Amino acid sequence: MSQAPRPQRPVLLRVRHLSKSFPGLKALDDVNLEVRSGEIVAVVGHNGSGKSTLTKILAGLYEPDPGALIQIGGPGEPVAQGRRRLHVIHQDLGIIDVLSAVENMGLCKSPLRPTWFARGTTERDRAAQLIGRFGGVFDPTVPVGTLSAAERAIIAIARAMDGWDRGDNILVLDEPTTAFHGDEVEVLFRSVRKVAEAGAGVVLISHRLDEVLGLSDRVVALRDGRVVADQSVDTLDYDALVGLIAGRSLEAVERGSVSGAGAPIMNIEGVAGQRVRNLSMRLRAGEIVGVSGVLGSGREELASLIFGARRRTKGRVLIGDAEVTPNDIRAAIANGLAFLPPDRRRGGGVMDLSVRENLTLPMMSPLRRRLGRLDRRAERAETERWAATVALRPPDPERPLKLLSGGNQQKVLLARWLRTKPRVLLLDEPTQGVDVGAKAAIYELIIAAARQGAGVLVCSSDAEELVALCDRVLVLDQGEVRSELSRESLTQAGLAGEVVGFDGSSSACVDVRMEAAQ
Amino acid sequence: MTSSVEEIIMTSALSAEEPADSGFAPWQPPTMSAQLRRMLSFQNISALYLFVLLFVAFSLWVPSTFLSSGVWRALLSGQAVTCLVAVGLVPSLAAGVFDLAVGSEVGLGAILAAWALASAHANVPVAVATALLAGAVVGVCNWFLIVGLRIQSFIATLGVSSVLLAMISWVSDGQQIVNLPHSFASLGTGQFLGLQWPVYVLAGVALAIWYVLECTPTGRRVYATGADLDAARLAGVRTSRIILLCTVVCAVVAALAGLLESAQLATGDPTIGPGYALPAISAALFGSTQFRNGRMNVWGTVVASYVLATGVKGLQLAGLPLWIPDLFNGVALLVAVAMARYQNSPSSRLAGIGRLFARTRGSGVND
Repeated sequence: MSQAPRPQRPVLLRVRHLSKSFPGLKALDDVNLEVRSGEIVAVVGHNGSGKSTLTKILAGLYEPDPGALIQIGGPGEPVAQGRRRLHVIHQDLGIIDVLSAVENMGLCKSPLRPTWFARGTTERDRAAQLIGRFGGVFDPTVPVGTLSAAERAIIAIARAMDGWDRGDNILVLDEPTTAFHGDEVEVLFRSVRKVAEAGAGVVLISHRLDEVLGLSDRVVALRDGRVVADQSVDTLDYDALVGLIAGRSLEAVERGSVSGAGAPIMNIEGVAGQRVRNLSMRLRAGEIVGVSGVLGSGREELASLIFGARRRTKGRVLIGDAEVTPNDIRAAIANGLAFLPPDRRRGGGVMDLSVRENLTLPMMSPLRRRLGRLDRRAERAETERWAATVALRPPDPERPLKLLSGGNQQKVLLARWLRTKPRVLLLDEPTQGVDVGAKAAIYELIIAAARQGAGVLVCSSDAEELVALCDRVLVLDQGEVRSELSRESLTQAGLAGEVVGFDGSSSACVDVRMEAAQ
Repeated sequence: MTSSVEEIIMTSALSAEEPADSGFAPWQPPTMSAQLRRMLSFQNISALYLFVLLFVAFSLWVPSTFLSSGVWRALLSGQAVTCLVAVGLVPSLAAGVFDLAVGSEVGLGAILAAWALASAHANVPVAVATALLAGAVVGVCNWFLIVGLRIQSFIATLGVSSVLLAMISWVSDGQQIVNLPHSFASLGTGQFLGLQWPVYVLAGVALAIWYVLECTPTGRRVYATGADLDAARLAGVRTSRIILLCTVVCAVVAALAGLLESAQLATGDPTIGPGYALPAISAALFGSTQFRNGRMNVWGTVVASYVLATGVKGLQLAGLPLWIPDLFNGVALLVAVAMARYQNSPSSRLAGIGRLFARTRGSGVND
């Protein structure tokens, strides 16, 4: 997979002297990039380093500043023509929730082909087969909105590769795996490698450095809109890669000594929801407990179930001695629960409101004055303090949340909940789609909260994250706790093995997925 | 705990070196002149510029009538009822609920107050209370349809609107209710400082709604609910109650406007209601493009409502045909909504238009 660049292969994508200026910001500054046939090039960098801008220029959504040369396909081929050979899968996937997978995959087909005659089983089977190639086992005729994030990503990827009439096209993957779990990532990447072997050039934009190291041939690092490194992956290891992105070597997160032996703070007794079945656990003050498991194991549901964001069909949640009224978010917050949802754009933050308004939304009572007036000045001052605390960039309290980068949005939302002084912090994928620098800052905040005596539950598909943060990790399978790993026995490899472990009933499920992947 | 978490983070090596290392230009708050320029920009106060334009145009066109103080007093008083309906609509729209029944709610308030006085021989306070209570009941019904039965607010209120029209017909028998007592009529026509009472009612209601929307936690929750229902719910906002509050306020204020209209006419007219819906919705949506960068707001709505009324009045004075006001209101609504869309996401709009052109040139983007 990691051959050195092959100079004999034709160049499929050539970018020279590419700059892009926005008012008050130079997003890209003299970027050069080259992708050859059969090559997988990873583009890495902070949020705000220019990766998304680069993708959008390649896709033709932005015009570059004058003086840039972009050549897609062979030399002399006009850009407009070449663009047809460039397939971009954007971070937000570009699929339509109310349509089914079959219909979504039909959207990109040539309008000349009368697809409505072919409706029915053939098209459905074709879609199912294509989705199956990427490890998806679900009904392609249900609305996409009812599927999970990973399943939606699979549809987008299958769609991009559908109707691929020649080998040497270019596939641009913009953060394709943010919602994936380890095994699903591997399934997808096997397909990506196959595509590259067929002669395509692949541009991978990813925050997940292990993926970058595992998949790509060459790494291009962007920092503040400039290319700071363009080198073969063989010359890089994890630390070097982090150094390239952050501009310095990031110290391993200082986990520090957490007693872990605080008083019991949360007691969960036999809760159940759609996926979770009869799950019980305890959480102590100052303890960080991880929750892992494949997609569908209940890992993605547990935090929202405890908080009341999803309907709990049975079971009790006790904070201290008090039982929290089920399915009542206000009661949960009043009892000291805080919940950071997995998707910032779907329920995480109110994107149209400002940083200030988002920060204070869950708890405005301390800012209430006579006649129910909201004290704007105090609110602003508090927002500025929190912006400094979490190193928000830019530290502008009045900026709408949607205009911040992903990492900064997440910092605001975490600050929002730390501000409520939670007794239990429920985090669901706390660093999804967040760059390395912001990730470390978020870990610091989580650890600081635990040190202050909050119990923290981290549900995450990122094994590295769980190993870095947690005192112990619960591995879920089919809605129940399958095993528990203590800090001493916690390694990334061990955790990954435990999560996809082949034993008993669960192996059947994994087998099906593996078969489908063939 | 707040201060301690802050301390721990502030003293950590990571954030201490981050600003120096990040390479971002330090962020500066906007300067005074930039703020002033932004405040006076066409985008921010287009209604005021439009007003100046209309004022100059009609002053030159029909100076003798347009510039008389009587016309302006009549305009302020006559438009107060429409403006009141628009202001009542603001919280509802801010919470993401589109109340298309607002016109019928005006009609219901108008006819019920008149009916209570004329047919049931109630005194004025009872008649007023009846109309307002009916408004509240309609508001609760709207809320139940939208939140309880999960019908989209457009559809739900469209249905309610028709039901209300039927009730108005039933109560009034399709006839005007005349001979309302003088004490009731004086609610609408009594004057103070040369302006009729409805102007002061409007001022009071607008002030109250402005205060709640912009100065209290409740108002913040209303905006959060309208901007993203799920996110607001997950942040602990009881979105169902917020929507109840907004639908009830909208319907009660509309009923209040209706009874004031009945008082101004000294007649309960079963046909006046629907005529209020379009001007009120136009004013509220046009108002959202003013002052607050696309956010629904009370003062923008008041200004927009009176600017539209000035346009209509000027056209009437200039002797243009009867259909002109409808045209003016309709065009104003469309322009206002297009402007609000543009304000919300100028870049993606332009990108969308750009893509459209790219596609028609046959060089579409595959993504």
